[in-house]
Amino acid sequence: MSRPAHRRPEYHKINKDLFVLTYGALVAQLCKDYEKDEDVNKYLDKMGYGIGTRLVEDFLARSCVRRCHSYSEITDIIAQVAFKMYLGITPSVTCNNSSRTEFSLILDKNPLVEFVEELPAGRSSLSYCNLLCGIIRGALEMVHLAADVTFLQDRLKGDRVTEIGITFLRKLDEKKYRRKK
Amino acid sequence: MSRQANRGTESKKMSSELFTLTYGALVTQLCKDYENDEDVNKQLDKILFSHFLPRGYNIGVRLIEDFLARSNVGRCHDFRETADVIAKVAFKMYLGITPSVTNWSPAGDEFSLILENNPLVDFVELPDNHSSLIYSNLLCGVLRGALEMVQMAVEAKFVQDTLKGDGVTEIRMRFIRRIEDNLPAGEE
Repeated sequence: MSRPAHRRPEYHKINKDLFVLTYGALVAQLCKDYEKDEDVNKYLDKMGYGIGTRLVEDFLARSCVRRCHSYSEITDIIAQVAFKMYLGITPSVTCNNSSRTEFSLILDKNPLVEFVEELPAGRSSLSYCNLLCGIIRGALEMVHLAADVTFLQDRLKGDRVTEIGITFLRKLDEKKYRRKK
Repeated sequence: MSRQANRGTESKKMSSELFTLTYGALVTQLCKDYENDEDVNKQLDKILFSHFLPRGYNIGVRLIEDFLARSNVGRCHDFRETADVIAKVAFKMYLGITPSVTNWSPAGDEFSLILENNPLVDFVELPDNHSSLIYSNLLCGVLRGALEMVQMAVEAKFVQDTLKGDGVTEIRMRFIRRIEDNLPAGEE
């Protein structure tokens, strides 16, 4: 199912619930297809990757972000612009290492799990929202940035918050690009 | 299931592209799982969310609660009012579009929703080997499930589809009967 070359001009803002329930149906379908949680997680990540590679074009066209000069700028944009646009939330960002290549997005509220009380029995290793990791990874790759993206904490698994870890894999030479603000 | 009341950091709105692409992933997965289009159509229509919600719930059943809470619509007195609410409030809220309501039957028990623009099919072309796929069939299941929860048994089906080369997308809705029972019908 390929994409036509033209873009339609209108942008639709919608209430999230139909999307959230459709996402649940997708996860439920994958749970029927794959017995092991690891396989569902992998598949969600793979699907997310495909979505991310296409979503990024839409994002760049609509958000008018300037070229970023550091991984922390990029992570800020993911949290404050992209998450806001596509999920209506703004996770907070923390930096986890001194070379500034590892970051976390802390999701205080996660709309994807609004209708999910808990993981079903036998699905304790399911990363329910793993589509998001794939999306971020796919989107970054389309702008030539390689990153590992994974859930570090998950409220559905009993953690206090939901935390997505982004590890940029190549060292960006920040001195070269640092601009005076 | 409690709702987080904090409105400061969360908006109920999102841009539709992520939904469109996620829906595409769902349809693609179902096409992998089921050999023929009719089975995919059936799955989309009765899509169950059974792993994560109590037995018998489907998307429409779950969505109507939220819709009624959020939209402040009063009880509809007839099928015409229902049609207007579906087109002008529900479709607007969840898909960002307002289909027109037309082609009423003389008895007032059937009408069409004409969607000139269907965000679910943005970026989608049906491949040749899926010419019978009713890509947006989830919408029919959602409409049926939602109306069942307000005591209306209806039939909803696509009679025109831009993905199949028609000029518009048309969903035909037919009122079957009022459901007297207050309990949701269980899924078999």
